[in-house]
Amino acid sequence: MMDTHETMHLAAEAGKIILENGGETYRVEETITHICQCYGIEEVDSFVTPTGIMMSVTDTEGNSFSLVKRVTKRVVNLEKVRLVNDISRRVQHEKPPVRSVREELKHIKTIGSYSHLTTVAISSTAAGFFCLLYGGSFRDFCVAFFIGCLLNLLTWISDKLQLIGFLTNLTGGAVATFTALFMTHMGIGVNEDKITIGAIMLLVPGLAITNAIRDTIAGDLVSGLSRGLEAFFVAVAISVGAGFAYEFWYVIIGTVQN
Amino acid sequence: MLTQQIFFNTFYALIGSLGFSIIFNIRGKHLIFASLGGGISWFCYEIGLALEQSSVVSMFMATCMVTVYSEILARRMKIPATIVIISSVIPLVPGGGMYYTMLESVNGNEVGFLKKLTITLFEAGAIAIGIVLVSSFARILKMQKR
Repeated sequence: MMDTHETMHLAAEAGKIILENGGETYRVEETITHICQCYGIEEVDSFVTPTGIMMSVTDTEGNSFSLVKRVTKRVVNLEKVRLVNDISRRVQHEKPPVRSVREELKHIKTIGSYSHLTTVAISSTAAGFFCLLYGGSFRDFCVAFFIGCLLNLLTWISDKLQLIGFLTNLTGGAVATFTALFMTHMGIGVNEDKITIGAIMLLVPGLAITNAIRDTIAGDLVSGLSRGLEAFFVAVAISVGAGFAYEFWYVIIGTVQN
Repeated sequence: MLTQQIFFNTFYALIGSLGFSIIFNIRGKHLIFASLGGGISWFCYEIGLALEQSSVVSMFMATCMVTVYSEILARRMKIPATIVIISSVIPLVPGGGMYYTMLESVNGNEVGFLKKLTITLFEAGAIAIGIVLVSSFARILKMQKR
């Protein structure tokens, strides 16, 4: 009989990694239940929300243990989600010792993200290509590319200052719109709308929307609602920021070129 | 001319999705699958528009197609379906609708604002329903197998 405590902590740890790195809530619950049951704990219940994990297990002698893990920082690292998912699958087939699984989780935690330079280059490229996709010209592409750089810098700064997401998205929407208007005014860009749309695609809450939907299907209504609300607020923040910048420009310059 | 435009746009969507996959820290061969999904979703969307369907219907169809692709891939490769779905759906997310809604509102054009807002919400809804439909079906199949 495995040590109940050890198994419980292992399952919670695996769940926490998934939750912190952009996995769905139901996946976290399934992983926790799965790992516990594979190591012989029959009675296990977990309740997971996007901001925390609560779980309790009962061993064969009828003793109950519970555990709460609070998740404060959420990033997106889908590679980690995939790796923990792999471990969860392997536990079922191979039943590796708890200790070795714990080592693996430790290793997964140390996996970094892509380098900062890569992320900047890629964000800019994505912004530029989305601008082309929505009908921008080559000159628009260059401006969107530049704004992509700016937005990445902005996200980086707000991470350093630990600003709330709402503020980051508000500023992002404003910076993107203002820069697009300014560049178009200077004659570098052509369609300020296409440029802005391409750039704000970097901010749209794609992950939150998708996870909200998938959690709702799985019957995780609390998580579905909260993620849905998060997505909605992000969209509102971007729009308000963009609207603010547009108004600001309108007041300063007095004419918005169409 | 039209087909050329579709081809180019599909390529742009593919690169855009690739960018997002990297931002989401997907690695190795999964990057290829995720970006291909972006291309597929945009291609289906364009085909829908070419068949003279509304943007909402086209988005719904595209999302359905790409979710089927993601779920099949997830079963084959033994990876979470989310990884592929998120990156694939990104090009369809109505960022444009959001921007034009904001524009109408700032310009004080209530009727235009409501029109744009409704279309944007419907488009977002179409994407959601598309994922719900296919993923629910996939879940049912998964349950059946056990």
